Amino acid sequence: MPSVWRANELARPVDAVVATGHAALDAQLPAGGWPVGALVEVLQSKNNLNEWRLLLPALARCSGPVLLVGAPHQPFGPGLAAQGLDPQRLLCVTAQTTAQRLWACEQALRCSDVTAVLAWLPQVRPEQLRRLQMAASTHGKLLFVMRPLAAREESSPAALRVLVSGQENVQVNGQDRLALHILKRRGPPLEQPLSLPARAARLAALLAVTRRQGAAPPNISAKDGDEELHEASHHAVVARITPFPDHGHALDRTAAAA
Amino acid sequence: MHWIALQPLPDATGPQDDDGAALVDALAALGWWALQFTPKVAQVEGAVLMEVSASERLFGGRKPLIDKIFRENKPVALFHYARAATSLIAIARLQLSQSAPRKPDELPLTTLLAARSHLPTLTRIGCTTWGQLRALPRGGLVRRFGAGLVDALDRAYGAKPELYPWLELPAVFEAKLELTARIDNAPALMFGARRLLAQLHVWLQARQRGILALELGWELDARRQDAPQGQLVVRTAEPTLDMAHVQRLLAENLARVTLHAPALYLHLRSLETAALPGTTTSLLPDDVRVGDSLHHLLERLSARLGADHVLRVVPFADHRPERMQVWQSASRTASVFSTNSIAAHAYSDRVGGQKDTSKQPKSDARSDALYPTWLLTQPLKLTVRNNAPQCAEGGPLTLLAGPQRVEAGWWGVSEKDGACALRDYFLARSEQMGLLWLYQERLGGQGRAEGHNSSGADWYLHGLFA
Repeated sequence: MPSVWRANELARPVDAVVATGHAALDAQLPAGGWPVGALVEVLQSKNNLNEWRLLLPALARCSGPVLLVGAPHQPFGPGLAAQGLDPQRLLCVTAQTTAQRLWACEQALRCSDVTAVLAWLPQVRPEQLRRLQMAASTHGKLLFVMRPLAAREESSPAALRVLVSGQENVQVNGQDRLALHILKRRGPPLEQPLSLPARAARLAALLAVTRRQGAAPPNISAKDGDEELHEASHHAVVARITPFPDHGHALDRTAAAA
Repeated sequence: MHWIALQPLPDATGPQDDDGAALVDALAALGWWALQFTPKVAQVEGAVLMEVSASERLFGGRKPLIDKIFRENKPVALFHYARAATSLIAIARLQLSQSAPRKPDELPLTTLLAARSHLPTLTRIGCTTWGQLRALPRGGLVRRFGAGLVDALDRAYGAKPELYPWLELPAVFEAKLELTARIDNAPALMFGARRLLAQLHVWLQARQRGILALELGWELDARRQDAPQGQLVVRTAEPTLDMAHVQRLLAENLARVTLHAPALYLHLRSLETAALPGTTTSLLPDDVRVGDSLHHLLERLSARLGADHVLRVVPFADHRPERMQVWQSASRTASVFSTNSIAAHAYSDRVGGQKDTSKQPKSDARSDALYPTWLLTQPLKLTVRNNAPQCAEGGPLTLLAGPQRVEAGWWGVSEKDGACALRDYFLARSEQMGLLWLYQERLGGQGRAEGHNSSGADWYLHGLFA
C-alpha cells in the first residue's frame, strides 16, 4: 500500500533537500538530506566546534551566498576552499545581541538571492526560533542554528535537531569520529548515535600517515611510493611539508646573531 | 497646433503610489511627467500646458496619443483638463470646465488673462466675450489698453506664435519642504521625507535614472542652536527606483540621529544618479522571484548594524594566515560575487598551484588540507608546561603534524605590510577541543631587535578544525 504512511517510517519527502555529503546521515534523514525551508538545530559544545564538518559538504553542493550570523570566529577562506566551499560566497554578519542576530537572520531569509543562513544563537527563546522557522519555510531557505548543549532539554520548533560531539567514541581504527545524535526528526526517534568521520578525507589521510610514522612531533613527509597511503585515499594528495632543520638555516643564524 | 491644459487637484496625491505620500510640488511633478510626450511643456496659472502636435506621429496619431496621455497613470490626480488649438483657448476652457462654449468667440472675457485688468472698463462698454473684443478696432484698442491685449488676442486666435518659458528637467533634484509642525525627534522626519521621496521618484522616472546617493537635510530652529543644520547622506550600491528601499535606509539612519532643536525645514537633494538598465521579465510565473535582492539586504543590514559589521572576504596573496584574506564591507562593493578580480586570480593560482585552468576543486595542491576552517582573530597565547603547550582548558595536547614553516613579512616597513612572522605551524589534538592549529614563534617572534627568549619560544593557538 504505497499511499499509506506507517508511523515507524521516515516522513515522506515534503520539500526539497540538500544531501549532507555523509551517506550514513542521509540514510537517517527524511528524504535523505538537510531539509530546505525548515529550521535545523545543531547542538554542540562551545569548546568543540564541528559545524563546518557537518554542514560544509552540503553548502559546497549548492550555489549562492551563504550568510553567517554571529560566527564565533573568522571563517578561514583557504581552509574552506580546500574542502570545496568558495569563501567568496560567504557573507559575515557580526552582531552582539540576540535581537540583532535574529533580525539579520530574518532579513536574510527574506532575500531571494541568499541560499543558506547559518546562525549562532547561544541564547534564544523557542518563540523566536518559531519565527525563524516560519520565515525559512515561507521563503524556502536552508537555515541552520547552532546552539549550546544546554539547549538539549528545551523544546524547539526545529524540524530537525542534531547533537554533535567529538568526545565520545573518539577513535575508531585510529581515526577520529564524530558522534551524532539525532534528537528530533520527522520520523521515529533514533536511539543509537551515528558515527561520522571527524575530518575531511584528505586531512584524515594525512593524519593517518603521520600516525603510522609514529613519533611525535612528526615531520610530515609522505613518500610518493607509500602504497598504503594511496590505498587510504584515492583522490587525496598528501601534502609534502619539507621541514627545515631547526639549526640548519643560514638566514636563521644571522638573524639570531643580530 | 494642439494644446492640452492639465490642472492637478488642489491637494494632489499620487494615485499609484503605494503609501499615498503626497507630492511636495504637484504642478512640477505633472510637468515632469508631461515631458515624456513633448518637449513643449509650460506652467501657466496653476496649470500645465503641453503642445503635442509635433509628437503625434511618434505615438501613432493624435487619438492614440490623447488616449495615452489621459489613460496612463499620472503622478498626481487631475482636476480638469481641456484641449484646444491654442493655449489661451485651452486655458479658458480649463477654467470654465463643463460649460465652455464651443466657439472661441463666445468665451467670456474673464478667461483671458491679459484682459483681466481692464475688465471693468470693457464690461461697461458692453464687451463681454472674446468675439466682441475682437470686433473692436485694433488701433483704438492698442491706444486705449496697450499692445498686450491685442497681442494676447492674436495669440489666442493663432495669428501669432505662442512662446512660453518651456519647462526643463533639472539636472539635479532639489526640493525643500516646510514642515507643518515643529518636529523634535529625528524618526518623525520620515513623514516629510516620504513626500520628498515621492517627488524624487517622479523626477527619476522622467529622467529614466536610478538614484545612487542622496542627501536629506534639515534646518533647525536657529534660536536654539549654534549649528542650525544637519544632513544625512544615503548611498545605494546599485541605481534604484525603489523608493520603499530608500525609505527604509533613511529610516534606519534617522533612528540614530538626535535633533538638538525642533526642525522647521527639510530638503532633499540627489547627489549621484545613474542610468537605469532595463529589466527582463519572465514569461513563466514560476520564475518570478519573491523577496529582496542581495544588495538591498546588504544595505539594510549595514544601515542598522554598521557597515563594518557586514563583511565579505577577499582573498589576498600572502603567506601569513591572518593576511590571506581581507575583510571588506559587503555593501560598498556593487558586484558581490565577481570572481574576476586580480586578487581572486592570484588567490586561485596560489591555491591551485601553477596554471590550474580546469574547474575541478582547486585543492589538489600542496598544504591547504592542513588549513583550519576557523581562524582566531587574535592568536591565543598558550601556557607551556614541561616544554609542551597546554590548551586553555588545561588538557594535554598531542602534536600530530608539523612543523610547517611560515616566514614572511620581514620586509614590512609600514603598518599596512603587517608584522613580521616567523612561525612553525603544528596540528595538535586536544581531548576537549578537537583538532587545533598552533604555532610556535621562532626567534622571539620578531626575529630582530628584541633578542631572543632562551627558555623556548611562545606557543599560540591560531585556528580550529571545526
